[in-house]
Amino acid sequence: MTEAVQNVSQSQIEVENLNLWYGEKQALKNISMQISKNSVTALIGPSGCGKSTFIRCLNRMNDLIKNCRIEGRVLIEGKDIYGPDVDAVDLRKNVGMVFQKPNPFPMSIYDNIAYGPRIHGANKKDLDGIVEQALRSAAIWEETSDRLKSPALSLSGGQQQRLCIARTLAVKPRIILFDEPTSALDPISTSRIEELIMNLKKDYTIVIVTHNMQQAARISDYTGFFLMGELIEFGQTRQIFHNPQERSTEDYITGRFG
Amino acid sequence: MGLSSKTSEKIAFSLLTLATLTVASFVLVILVYIILNGYGAISIEFLTEMPRRMMTQGGIYPAIVGTMYLIIGSMVAALPIGVIAAIYLNEYAGENRTTWLVEMAINNLAGTPSVVFGLFGLALFVKYFGFGPSILSASLTLALLILPVIIRSTKEALLTVPNEYRESSLALGVSKWQTIRYVVLPAAIPGIVTGSILSIGRVAGETAPILFTGAAYFLPRLPDSIYSQFMALPYHLFVLATAGTNIAKTRPIQYGTALVLLLIVLGLNLIAVLIRRHYRNKLKI
Ligand SMILES: Nc1ncnc2c1ncn2[C@@H]1O[C@H](COP(=O)(O)OP(=O)(O)O)[C@@H](O)[C@H]1O
Ligand SMILES: [Mg+2]
Repeated sequence: MTEAVQNVSQSQIEVENLNLWYGEKQALKNISMQISKNSVTALIGPSGCGKSTFIRCLNRMNDLIKNCRIEGRVLIEGKDIYGPDVDAVDLRKNVGMVFQKPNPFPMSIYDNIAYGPRIHGANKKDLDGIVEQALRSAAIWEETSDRLKSPALSLSGGQQQRLCIARTLAVKPRIILFDEPTSALDPISTSRIEELIMNLKKDYTIVIVTHNMQQAARISDYTGFFLMGELIEFGQTRQIFHNPQERSTEDYITGRFG
Repeated sequence: MGLSSKTSEKIAFSLLTLATLTVASFVLVILVYIILNGYGAISIEFLTEMPRRMMTQGGIYPAIVGTMYLIIGSMVAALPIGVIAAIYLNEYAGENRTTWLVEMAINNLAGTPSVVFGLFGLALFVKYFGFGPSILSASLTLALLILPVIIRSTKEALLTVPNEYRESSLALGVSKWQTIRYVVLPAAIPGIVTGSILSIGRVAGETAPILFTGAAYFLPRLPDSIYSQFMALPYHLFVLATAGTNIAKTRPIQYGTALVLLLIVLGLNLIAVLIRRHYRNKLKI
């Protein structure tokens, strides 16, 4: 893992002095971070510290929240995504997101995956291939290939979450954001998704919020520790876990609070 | 105060059961009464023929057709406008003074007596727009009457669509309008259908709004355009029961008409239930 990390020098996402307010309340304080291409970056910290708020800045989901004000810059592949010429809808095709609760649409398995590509104008005759490809990449093809027409909501929770990952992959993003994707799942489903995320790293840049430190340690190359809206420490996962520079990071990792 | 919680729960439960049974028995009594009195009048001729001899004989065919036209006309006008208004209010409008005013207006519109709609329709559609007393004027008047019902039920249906659907669609790079069109609206259809059918029931049953806007006392032929006058079931019933040439003699026809009206409304409600169930099954597990 370390080897791969060292080879990647190019950063895909650069966050510079990001501040965010919900009304009067400041939720993110002067965050700067560089996220490398084809790596997994984990964000940890006690709940309410701003992890979700932060990753929702990377695909501009916070645009939907009234009274939410943002300062600073977020560059993706060198381009400021909050710049005047950037369309948030187009941005989200490149920066996909998987949520905490598995939330397939109330449609068939097939239609869930085909939803994004269809709207983005995929050719009808290519759809079958796109759907299969996405389901395969999300490691759920075996379980679903003979029941593509059945409702997505008939799948188990873990399967639904992999379906949601497949749905995101079908749009062909370059970056995928995960917000506590396994917190609603059992241990077996969780480990399948962890395995999947590590495999996806080959083709995607991944940012994952997790409340589970073992998970961060298992799957990530870099880890950022958030506390009360601040990024306390950011670095290689190995270093953060074995040799944290900040006292509060160490306290959190060793379970002394949080 | 001295009652134990168990006793008071028992009393509350009995009272609630009693209230439910009372309501249900009233509905049943009305239904049985009308069926018993009306079914003798019903025949193929009754349903397919023109009224004859100053409406003391013959059928109610033009009134059935007229009521159908009113249902179609008012739905064509009210459904798209109502659904679009509800989408705007629920998905786009912020919580500000204007929205508040609009919602107040809609609530008040829902509480306005239907005869006021009738007079308004007379002034606006019949006179001002010059549509005359006609299917068009009456349908538009009825459309105004049911607009608040459709807006409200559509809004409620949209509110029950989980926000997660909206978020995950937007996160796929799908625009807000496309999200509404392809995810939110389909999930809201059962609720929208229910609201629409309930309002069809109102359209079929209302007399006051069509009284001044186009319903004919007696018109033994079918309307030939949207500018024609028409007969309609509730008004026909009203006329037979209050102003007919021989009220006592036409009793069976009156009950027959009431029964047909009732069956149309019940039939539509049944369709609503079936459509809702169909979509439930399709959407859910
Ligand atoms: N839509 C919102 N409006 C106002 N405050 C919010 C909103 N979303 C989150 N917050 C606040 O911002 C802080 C960070 O929340 P969040 O990013 O969800 O934390 P985390 O994901 O780390 O648990 C919390 O104090 C939370 O109450
Ligand atoms: Mg969170």
